[in-house]
Amino acid sequence: MAIQTLLHKAKGLLLPLVLLAAWEWASRQGASAAYVFVSLATMFQTLLHLASSGELWLHLHTSLARTLTGLAMGASIGIAVGTLMAQSRVAERLIGPLYHSIRQVPLLGLIPLLGLWVGNGNSAKLLVIALAAFYPTVLNTSEGIRQVETRFREVGHMLTLGRTQTFLKILLPAALPSIVTGISHALAFSWLACMGGELLFSAGPGLGSMLLNGEVTGQMDQVLLAVVLIALLAQGMNALFNRLARLLVRGRST
Amino acid sequence: MRTALQSTYTPSVAPKAAPPAASFAAATPVRPVPQLVETPAPSTGAPRKSLVERWLASRWSGWLSPVLFLVLWSTATYLEWMPEQILVSPLQVLETGWEMTLSGELWENLGVSLYRLFAGFGIGSIAGLVFGVLLGLSSSLRAYVEPTFNVLRQLPTVALIPLFILVFGIGETFKVFIVIKATFFVVGLAVHDAVRAMSSRYAEVAQIYCFTRWQVIRSIVLPSIIPATLTGVRIALSRAWMVLVGAELLAAESGLGQMMELGRQMFRLDIVMLGVVLTGVIGFSLDRGFRWLERHLMRWKRS
Repeated sequence: MAIQTLLHKAKGLLLPLVLLAAWEWASRQGASAAYVFVSLATMFQTLLHLASSGELWLHLHTSLARTLTGLAMGASIGIAVGTLMAQSRVAERLIGPLYHSIRQVPLLGLIPLLGLWVGNGNSAKLLVIALAAFYPTVLNTSEGIRQVETRFREVGHMLTLGRTQTFLKILLPAALPSIVTGISHALAFSWLACMGGELLFSAGPGLGSMLLNGEVTGQMDQVLLAVVLIALLAQGMNALFNRLARLLVRGRST
Repeated sequence: MRTALQSTYTPSVAPKAAPPAASFAAATPVRPVPQLVETPAPSTGAPRKSLVERWLASRWSGWLSPVLFLVLWSTATYLEWMPEQILVSPLQVLETGWEMTLSGELWENLGVSLYRLFAGFGIGSIAGLVFGVLLGLSSSLRAYVEPTFNVLRQLPTVALIPLFILVFGIGETFKVFIVIKATFFVVGLAVHDAVRAMSSRYAEVAQIYCFTRWQVIRSIVLPSIIPATLTGVRIALSRAWMVLVGAELLAAESGLGQMMELGRQMFRLDIVMLGVVLTGVIGFSLDRGFRWLERHLMRWKRS
């Protein structure tokens, strides 16, 4: 049994190992190939160099802080707007059409416009990230609140709760799972938006800028490192958030 | 205006006080007056629809805020609340669009972008379909390939744009490949999941009929995965469109994204706005088109 699972894992490792070996082999086929296929040793050295010089931490810290700030802004406004849209039919009819039409524009397509309006500094990037976080939270919050069962609302009615109390004690806890799902989508989107924003508003530190610098100067090792880091961080943040969310939702539902 | 107002109020006070206004009073409806006085009284009894209720019930209620938005936008530009580099009028955007249509510039950029999108999307979705079916059906292939597929799937496409530029150069190849990447993994995963979720009863039926592998794929697998595949393909298409616009913004000699980037560098807000509106309209129509296709292909399910 143990051997079986071990064999299964070994089969899964075969292809990556073959690919890595092919990569390593290709990196030794002359200078032009080494431009694209950077040898693994070089990559490791670049990683050490970037880490020891502190450059890597600066990029990491800037991108993460930026994403979380933008996420906090976008998600909190998104939850507020989503609540408003679920609670008031007038607000829904006024905001809904605008929301759905602006949402059609691909986020990266908005970047030139935002660039003209707010420049290419930190605020422009924050705006892109906040927008990316805003869309899914609005949708999930309003859907979540709207789908709260009527019997829960009736309980609030029987207890003669006020509007605020109904919202805080009944609607919000019942819609929490949906809101949390919205925030987890928002986290993934805002991380991507942060990368896109840093790539296209090329100014200041950040992992996206590290990517762009690597591309412009033709340093494949730097680009590859940045891509791997971005993917790992996306996974890490997602796992961390899911764990936190499970705690939060479970604590509420019991 | 004043006479009309007077005429609506005068009848109850002094009907014969203003003889010249009498002709106006005959022309203008006098009925609103008693209604206005009476409204507070019946509100306790019969549920009279308020103005807001009536607006909510009307068919055009959804159009109010976009129209208000356009009016506000036009007013802001007309009264020059902001400099022209910050805000141009919607009319100016339309005019620029018309000019660029006439000069053929717009069609060229649009055509190039759509060509890239559909070339990459076509290759990516067909490859994803084939790969997903094979991966879903063969457990031995899954053992070898699935972990690698899952790792590569996690690489964010936006972040891969610089990598692809370094590998493929900034020509057409890189843009088509980035679209293929954006499409392949989404479609492949959707198809794989759909194949795995297939009921085992289908496989038993195939066994009874002694189907060959190809027959199984053609008459059992493919029809049963259509719904999930179409959804996956639709999501892939909208992602691919966003990634393509991003790639064109970063490095291109033509295309909608490049048009916007040039507009930004020349501070031509009208061109940028035109580009934003167009990318939105294209994204929207692609999505709607695919939803329609889904419904059309799935119409047997409803009946």
